[in-house]
Amino acid sequence: MRPIVEVEALCVQALAKRGKDRIPLIQDVSFQIHPGEMLALVGESGSGKSVTAGAVLGLLPNALHIGSGSLRFQGEDVLAWTEKKRRGLLGSQIGCVFQDYQGSFTPFRKIGKQLTEMIRTHHSLSKATAKDLALEWLDQVALPAERVYDSYPFQLSGGQRQRTALAAAMMLRPALVVADEPTTALDVLTGERVLDLLAELQMQVGCAVLLISHDLRHVMKRADTVAVMKDGRIVECEATEMIRRRASHPYTQTLLHARPLLTDLDAGLDWENEEVVSSERHEGVDGVESLADREPAV
Amino acid sequence: MLRLITARLQQLVFVLFLLSAFTFLLMKLAPGDPVLTLLKIDQIAATQAEEAALRSQLGFDRPIHEQYASWIWGVLHLDLGDSYLAKRPVLEMLLERVPGTFQLALGGIAVMMAIAVPLGLLAAKYPGRLPDHLSRLLALIGSSVPSFWMGLLLIYAFSYKLNWLPTMGTGSFRHMILPSLTLGLAIAAVYARLLRAGLLDSLSQEYIRAARARGIAEWRVLTLHALRAALLPVVTVFGMSVGHLLAGTVVVEILFSWPGLGSLAVEAIFARDYPVIQGYVLLIGVFVVAVNLLVDLSYGWLDPRIRYEKGEAA
Amino acid sequence: MNTWHSIRQSPMTALGIALLTLLVFLTLFGPWIVPNDPLTVQMSERLQPPSWQYPFGTDHLGRCLFSRLVEGAQITLGLAAVVIVTVAVIGIPVGLLSGYVGGRLDTILMRIVDGAGALPEFVVAISVAGFLGPNLTNLLLSIVAIKWMGYARVVRSIVLSEREKEYVLAARVAGGSAWTVMRRHLIPQILSPVFVLAALDIGKIIMLIAMFSFLGLGAQPPTPEWGAMLNDGRPYFQTVPELMIYPGMAILLVVISCNLIADGLRDRLDVRSR
Repeated sequence: MRPIVEVEALCVQALAKRGKDRIPLIQDVSFQIHPGEMLALVGESGSGKSVTAGAVLGLLPNALHIGSGSLRFQGEDVLAWTEKKRRGLLGSQIGCVFQDYQGSFTPFRKIGKQLTEMIRTHHSLSKATAKDLALEWLDQVALPAERVYDSYPFQLSGGQRQRTALAAAMMLRPALVVADEPTTALDVLTGERVLDLLAELQMQVGCAVLLISHDLRHVMKRADTVAVMKDGRIVECEATEMIRRRASHPYTQTLLHARPLLTDLDAGLDWENEEVVSSERHEGVDGVESLADREPAV
Repeated sequence: MLRLITARLQQLVFVLFLLSAFTFLLMKLAPGDPVLTLLKIDQIAATQAEEAALRSQLGFDRPIHEQYASWIWGVLHLDLGDSYLAKRPVLEMLLERVPGTFQLALGGIAVMMAIAVPLGLLAAKYPGRLPDHLSRLLALIGSSVPSFWMGLLLIYAFSYKLNWLPTMGTGSFRHMILPSLTLGLAIAAVYARLLRAGLLDSLSQEYIRAARARGIAEWRVLTLHALRAALLPVVTVFGMSVGHLLAGTVVVEILFSWPGLGSLAVEAIFARDYPVIQGYVLLIGVFVVAVNLLVDLSYGWLDPRIRYEKGEAA
Repeated sequence: MNTWHSIRQSPMTALGIALLTLLVFLTLFGPWIVPNDPLTVQMSERLQPPSWQYPFGTDHLGRCLFSRLVEGAQITLGLAAVVIVTVAVIGIPVGLLSGYVGGRLDTILMRIVDGAGALPEFVVAISVAGFLGPNLTNLLLSIVAIKWMGYARVVRSIVLSEREKEYVLAARVAGGSAWTVMRRHLIPQILSPVFVLAALDIGKIIMLIAMFSFLGLGAQPPTPEWGAMLNDGRPYFQTVPELMIYPGMAILLVVISCNLIADGLRDRLDVRSR
């Protein structure tokens, strides 16, 4: 079976503001994702996992650029795509869910408008059909469809927004969904449910999923394959079962034994983990992303 | 939202009170005796008795606070008095001129938007590149060029040298072009810069990345997703500088012999026709506050979060 | 070396400073370099083309256009300077007092500033010109009457935020008199924003004076104020466009240099807005 995504020896560099210095952000990253497979890319903040996701999506900020390596999507060379082609595939063949639920939808426009806009961007459907499709998917993610359709994003809770974002990502039955820390900004329980939903929808649509997370044990329950990143390199990439049984790399071991997890406990709350989640949210921007934030001001 | 509007209405009352007191005071401070002026205009050799009669007819023999009270009573009943010169109700004269100024202001705003929006979008799309530098240069020149001078230059070039457009008069679209350009060109670049700053800010937001990741076409991302937030500062500055726009209409009306409020006011100043000046100032005050009320309302339209201040659970 | 560095850092600001220096030079030494008296009417010499005698030609009354323009620099810059200084002299103390003393005084002052500040300065200037007569003094008075409020407001807000900071509290606790505290701690803080505000305002004030003079509501003939000169030259501009081109260009250059300097100052002094 041909993989959906093939990443080979990928290097991404940051262009320093002055001079010709190039700071390597990820080096020699290789992995494959097959249809229906969920690959979890795990690493701490700044390990380069979000940059990898950005490269796969073709949405790297201007200050970053791909130095070498190859990126294939369904056998096609992603790096050779025109902007127009990339836009055409984003949303229809490649779905995305981002970390920050605040930013998953434009705040001034109603959810329904944004969903139908997306549908009609990729398929020539009538407004009514597009609306039906959007409502159907809002229903799929267990939301009160009509009400959410008519709401502004700020009228929904964080969990509701991430569910809506999931619906948007899956709605057009893409071949790949990239979920960049979709649960980080949510509280633990809500996050768990969103991940469950992600796995459930993946089954239904049959797409491949690239799940980015900073928490190894959090994703082990659902991912088929786990790739562990550290300092811009993949240190270990194995089937989840193998990781669980005998992780070879010492760093993976550290991550595995780092902390107890909610799912390990029968109790409903785990204060330690929650604390980790919230502190992660504060500094939760990779060094690279803060560079990207600054970029437009230059 | 409702609070904002009530606050604006209170401000309207306050500003009108302030303006009315201010102009009334100035009128009393004005050199020369309006009664004598009036009689002089009529070109009759007035007797002492006639002068006294007119004085009491106008109420000028009563104490000042009584005069103010009766004048403000009239204003509240839409009676702004009669023009010394034309002997007609001031309100009627002003209302005749409102459409002219309104048309001019709209023309200027249209020119401004036609230039500012594309220029701002381009400058934000390509920061640090040619459109950006161009808009910066134009903004510098635009905020430094005297509008009356630019109007003259436009007349010289397009009416006199090229003979394309009429210099004065109203009625057709062709008559609108030069006055609207004079009014709109100078302010356009400044708004383009504001729009650029707002757009750069909103383009760096997460939701723009999300929209792009959904494959939405770039022009839709710019206009439908990013522009909305970028308009807030633009609208705010527009509300604050509406006085500027009105000053501009005065100049343009004089330059192009355009029958509007501004030219009426300038004529009235030269003729010392105090009631007309007073009426003009009051009307401008109402206009300024009304525009700011519209600006407040537009916030609610631009950003629904303001509209739903106490909306459903966030 | 240092100068060269700043020029390279912000060439536009340097350009503004160079232009303004030239204009200030003209203002100071104008009377010695102009070839003719700016006010002498010579009907025999009217509307002359440029020559050695009259570098920019003559106007409709045979006056030397170049001499009038140079004289106009003095008027324009002089008036703007007078207005800005007066405005600062009124606005800064009021703002200091309002912010430092607070209470009733502050409430009343700010009520006035907020209410009257809502009026566009042009409306005030029009009413003053309308009722008290259209002349330069009244125009300047009305500009001052509106502009001081902006300064009072800015100064007050800085004082309010600085007043509660520890170093000011310490100075007060240590027994410094109100005057000492203001002079040592508050005034240095307000200088930068006031400079930026003033630099921005100078361009606006020059423009407003020129505009009113152009409408005939400011400087009156034969004063060689640039706006008034434009108005004078208006009937002849089709045959002798120089009469309107040069004064307008002069206004443009002054205002541009003020705006360039204001931008430079803002970038350098106001770190917060960046």
